[in-house]
Amino acid sequence: MTRSSDNQPGDNRPGPRSETPVAPPSRRCGEHGRDARATEDSARVPSRQGWRVVIVGTGGQGALTAARLLCDCLVEHGHDVVSGQLHGMAQRGGSVHTSVKVDCGISPVIASGRADCVLGFEPVETARVLPLMSAKTVVYMNTAPVIPFILGQQSALKKGAGQYPDVQDLVDSIRAVTSHVFPFDATRLAQDSGSIKTMNTIMLGCLLGSGLLPRTVEEFWQTVTRVMPPALTEANAEAFSNGVEMGRKFRLDEVVR
Amino acid sequence: MTVGVGREILQNEPGARACLLGNLGIVRGALEAGVQFFSCYPGTPSSEIGDTFARIAKEAGVQFEYSVNEKIAVEVAFGASLAGARSMCAMKHLGLSYANDPISTMPYVGVEGGMVIVSAGDPAVITSPNEQDQRHFSRLLYYPIFDPATPDDAMQMTRYAFGLSETTRLPVILRPTTRVCHSNGMMTFGPLPSARNEIRFTKNPPRYVPIPVNARRMRKELTQRYRQAEELLATSEFFPRTGSGRHGIVASGVAYAYAAQVIENLGLQDEVVLQQVGAYPIPEQVLERFLASVDSVLVVEELTPVVEEWVSLSAFRQHRDIPILGKHSGHLPLEFEYTPDLVEDAIREYLHLDKRERGSVTVPDLPSRPPVLCPGCPHRTSFYLAGKVFGKKTVYCNDIGCYTLGYGDPLNACDVLLCMGSSITQASGIARMTGDRVVAYIGDSTFFHSGLPALANAVQADDNITVIILDNYITAMTGFQPSLTTPPRPARDAGRTESPAAARFSIEDAVRGLGVKDVFSVDQFDEATTLKVFKEAKAATGVSVVICHSPCAVDRRRANRDKKRPAFTIDQDLCNACSLCVRVLGCPGILVEDGQYSIDQELCDGCAVCASVCVQGAIRPAVSVKT
Repeated sequence: MTRSSDNQPGDNRPGPRSETPVAPPSRRCGEHGRDARATEDSARVPSRQGWRVVIVGTGGQGALTAARLLCDCLVEHGHDVVSGQLHGMAQRGGSVHTSVKVDCGISPVIASGRADCVLGFEPVETARVLPLMSAKTVVYMNTAPVIPFILGQQSALKKGAGQYPDVQDLVDSIRAVTSHVFPFDATRLAQDSGSIKTMNTIMLGCLLGSGLLPRTVEEFWQTVTRVMPPALTEANAEAFSNGVEMGRKFRLDEVVR
Repeated sequence: MTVGVGREILQNEPGARACLLGNLGIVRGALEAGVQFFSCYPGTPSSEIGDTFARIAKEAGVQFEYSVNEKIAVEVAFGASLAGARSMCAMKHLGLSYANDPISTMPYVGVEGGMVIVSAGDPAVITSPNEQDQRHFSRLLYYPIFDPATPDDAMQMTRYAFGLSETTRLPVILRPTTRVCHSNGMMTFGPLPSARNEIRFTKNPPRYVPIPVNARRMRKELTQRYRQAEELLATSEFFPRTGSGRHGIVASGVAYAYAAQVIENLGLQDEVVLQQVGAYPIPEQVLERFLASVDSVLVVEELTPVVEEWVSLSAFRQHRDIPILGKHSGHLPLEFEYTPDLVEDAIREYLHLDKRERGSVTVPDLPSRPPVLCPGCPHRTSFYLAGKVFGKKTVYCNDIGCYTLGYGDPLNACDVLLCMGSSITQASGIARMTGDRVVAYIGDSTFFHSGLPALANAVQADDNITVIILDNYITAMTGFQPSLTTPPRPARDAGRTESPAAARFSIEDAVRGLGVKDVFSVDQFDEATTLKVFKEAKAATGVSVVICHSPCAVDRRRANRDKKRPAFTIDQDLCNACSLCVRVLGCPGILVEDGQYSIDQELCDGCAVCASVCVQGAIRPAVSVKT
């Protein structure tokens, strides 16, 4: 057996029976290689560079899609993105936790206290990532709960699984860490914008409208238009602009305050 | 909004930058290396590799199969390699153990076309019954093993591994972990090859038949080839060393990404030399150079101290009597995944830096969201009805799949669990010693995976067991891969390869062929018949088998988007809040708020089982159907 001879230039993969072993091909991949990153001068500055966004919710709320769209937009505009996801067993109603790290290194996991922004699609899930927040973290939080069915059922069986926490208590526990908390009923706003399924778009609108990210509202929507089917883009347009308005309003309120 | 996975992975634009899932990076790396054959058995966190190949195989000109189990996946891929093809197979860590038999002899025989086995690890047992460290296979069985830290690593290592495999004739293992498989990271595409290996099997029995006379010769060659792999790895770029200073940190896997990030964040580049270990065997000269430059070492790696012991041994050989810290010294734990915080704490302790202040964040008590069988799941019905017939005292052996969620209240359908196919065999052992009839639950995919020999074994011993095969026509837990009983369906995607043999398989025929006399088939949503059948199976002597056929509720809706069954509702005038439906079914579609019972109209799949459970007759279709 021999390898065909018309390999592409630069393809120096060894044949199966080469007499002398040829080193397999180089792994270097251009200017974005790891070495370039390691010698950055800015790396010595204790890091507030880059952007770290956490998106949390429950299965079926579209947190993974939101993270994917964010990644697509940022990559399209030349940013380096690392995005981690953890969704256990892919069950509807389970916790979904994703992170999007922009221009800040290769680790897929955000360390405690280092989130710049949290998009909380659900109150309990938002509170679950409290350890990632600091006084600087901006939190957009949907106040509409998705109550774990197990709570009601166990209370019916008098097994004392506890209650769904009071949403205001959850907001307060987050406010104890950061004053930049913006709770609102995104699920209702999504309904008013056409469909409950646009809640993730509302939250993305908030993030883009806040001006926290290095890309504009228009740039993001161009990406959405490019990667999503037209019908979906249209169905989400109103939700997005409502979300953007919400994000801008919150930022404005904060400046006034 | 939902985004599908595009076919950008097939684009031939060298230099294109993409942000891809680690598992997709592995696919891209294999395509760039000219992979010609791919097989897999799905298992989290490896499944997206096979699912992506399933979509693109036709277009990419790759022979593809979802194999019946991992041992078979490896053997078929090895056969393809002997015919000259660059071949790959993918599985989770447990699958590699299942394939241990062929894997242990393959390095002796050696490959022709380069062969890469992806075995995805699950530190922290997120979706597995154990965590294990496949890196030990390197010394145990003479495998070069790659240990990527990032999705980019995963792509580049895959691309490189095929060449290394062909040069050394050793099959190669790629061992990504959950955080690499399921993270999106930046990578740069290389060119797709214009030519691929020629396919031809040349007869040469002494080369391919490891009978002792040949195996002894092969064993000698193996030592040489493993050494050759070490030499080639020494010249590779998978052992980058950065920074300067007299402190050294060696790190592997995703823990390397954490260590690099901590060093960058704390600005320690002039105090610490960071050495990545990206593959095994770790070339001696890499460690020599590293150890010569530092006065102490901290090793940062998840799971067992493979690198730590390798480095310690190397230091001993070089008479370098310096502190080598890590797991033995208590800086880092032996168990579970590491986190950036854990790694930062260890590095600070190692460098005698102040502990990081992490303000006092109090997280309130939060309810958890444990995984649960979906509304409309046929498994719930099987467990409920079998429980009625076999009772609380019967031992229920369960197996690997969605049906493991029968564990605990209210279904209590899982008293024993071990590994793929073990429900039948464990039931045999328990039944033989206790003399009581034992029930074994197993799904369709798992039954063909390893249940067949287990059942033959039970028949030959005439064990007093009832095997309930839960045939939902799909491998649901890992993401709806086809099983042998999946009926042919219109391809969801143009490039998707459908098995022409699909639906040719009859579990009934297989079971009868293995000598089982009492074989029953039933749709478990036909409650009366199912109860009758379970009673007959219970009354049988020796092995009895009940096959419950009903499609996975979620897959049924995915396959026919418009055919959601009408939801049910609870008539508040009739409901007396007796809690029976909740006590026996535990369906997430049934909501209880302030003592009031209702059904979530979006979640309800209309399976109607709760309606038959309700003694008040309070549960009815939400929309009355005209008759």
